[in-house]
Amino acid sequence: MTVTDQDFQVFVFALKSTSRYDFSQYSEKSLKRRLFKVLTDHKMSMNTLISRIKADYAFVEQVVKEITVNTTELFRDPQVWQALRFSILPRFKNNTVINIWHSGCSTGQEVYSMLILLHELDLFDKAKVYATDINTDVIEAAKTGEYKYRFNIAYLDNFDKVIKENPYNYEEYNDVPYNKYFDIDKTNDIIKMKSFLREKPVFKKHDLVLDNNTLYVKFDLILCRNVIIYFNYDLQNRVFELYHQNLYENGCMVLGLHETILGLNAAKFTKKGHAYYKN
Amino acid sequence: MSIMNYKAVIIGGSAGSFQVVTKILSSLPKTFPVPVMLCLHRLKHVRSGFVEALSLKSNIPIEEPYDKDQLKPGRAYLAPANYHLYIELANRVALSTEDVVNHSRPSIDLSLITAANAYREKLIGIILSGANKDGAFGLKKVHDCGGVTIVQDPNECEVKTMTTSALQLTKADFVYTTDQIIRFLQKIN
Repeated sequence: MTVTDQDFQVFVFALKSTSRYDFSQYSEKSLKRRLFKVLTDHKMSMNTLISRIKADYAFVEQVVKEITVNTTELFRDPQVWQALRFSILPRFKNNTVINIWHSGCSTGQEVYSMLILLHELDLFDKAKVYATDINTDVIEAAKTGEYKYRFNIAYLDNFDKVIKENPYNYEEYNDVPYNKYFDIDKTNDIIKMKSFLREKPVFKKHDLVLDNNTLYVKFDLILCRNVIIYFNYDLQNRVFELYHQNLYENGCMVLGLHETILGLNAAKFTKKGHAYYKN
Repeated sequence: MSIMNYKAVIIGGSAGSFQVVTKILSSLPKTFPVPVMLCLHRLKHVRSGFVEALSLKSNIPIEEPYDKDQLKPGRAYLAPANYHLYIELANRVALSTEDVVNHSRPSIDLSLITAANAYREKLIGIILSGANKDGAFGLKKVHDCGGVTIVQDPNECEVKTMTTSALQLTKADFVYTTDQIIRFLQKIN
């Protein structure tokens, strides 16, 4: 079974006409694959799926949650976090407030990575951290700050690379204990973030297709990692416009490792290492 | 047989394919007329150095593409570590961090399936040495869409699992040694 172009169009149209969700500017290959997965997981035909979408709003919400991709990890791509630690965040150290937006935060691992890093840099108290996603289930998961331990042992390696080691000085080693920031319960297979971290961020639902800045502040730093790969060129440009408008002067944006700005908006930013600074 | 009017070559490989890919890339003309996509399994945490290693002897430039980059003739595009590489219409790549497929990200199946959809009968799909079944289903898709399918001769492969799995699912157009693959590709114009 495959998802034909026509199925795909019918699906996008059904969502658009029965809900506020508009996937018409999503990257087609990924979205088709996710749609195929939804059909397979529910053992459902395309026709049944469309009728359910039209008849049952709760089902629409469920499909939207299943269709979005939520891959993330603690300190994903350590080299990016090393750049945040040694070159990006230090630029804001004399600010009275540092506003940070994790746009497309998924289950929150990078939000906690940021909070840990801010704490290590003594910037925790002056930072205001906002985290948004289209999927309210992952936001609820992010709020709990609780992750499987067994599948995520790589988290500890990443933590060591970013927090304990210094890539510019191999002799430096900061023996920061894990339990300063999270508790590991091997019996129950859980990593749980400390409450002082969990209480800090503001989590909110946000749809990059429709919504403007619903956080009502401007930002020094916007992280949007491996989100725009699911969007087509036009929607990517809308998102870059939105970020550009809502960054302070000298503010910057950090994207996924293989994401970049194509087209007209590229001229509005200057890339330095892993960050795109607002011109 | 005239080898004309192809629009892209896609090569999938895993364990034992590095030397083969290196040899192929070092034998292509500098003005190779189409883009070459490379979907090769590698260790998740070995993120840098792979392009440089492949580039040492390559005749054409190799890059790990950014999302939505346009594929150009005479260049090779290596699927970045920990991303799936999809081919969209209009010669653009799209990346994804969706779950692993066949224990792999990048998954050769996904790259081949999307390339087959984009290029249909104008695609050449090649499966090399490897230690799992990834790529078998994708090569079938290339075949079903009318593209040319080539499988490295399992007798020559360091690890045969990938090529024998591909051959079980699809009657490949050609079962070739590395040298034969190279001669075939050199004839494309």
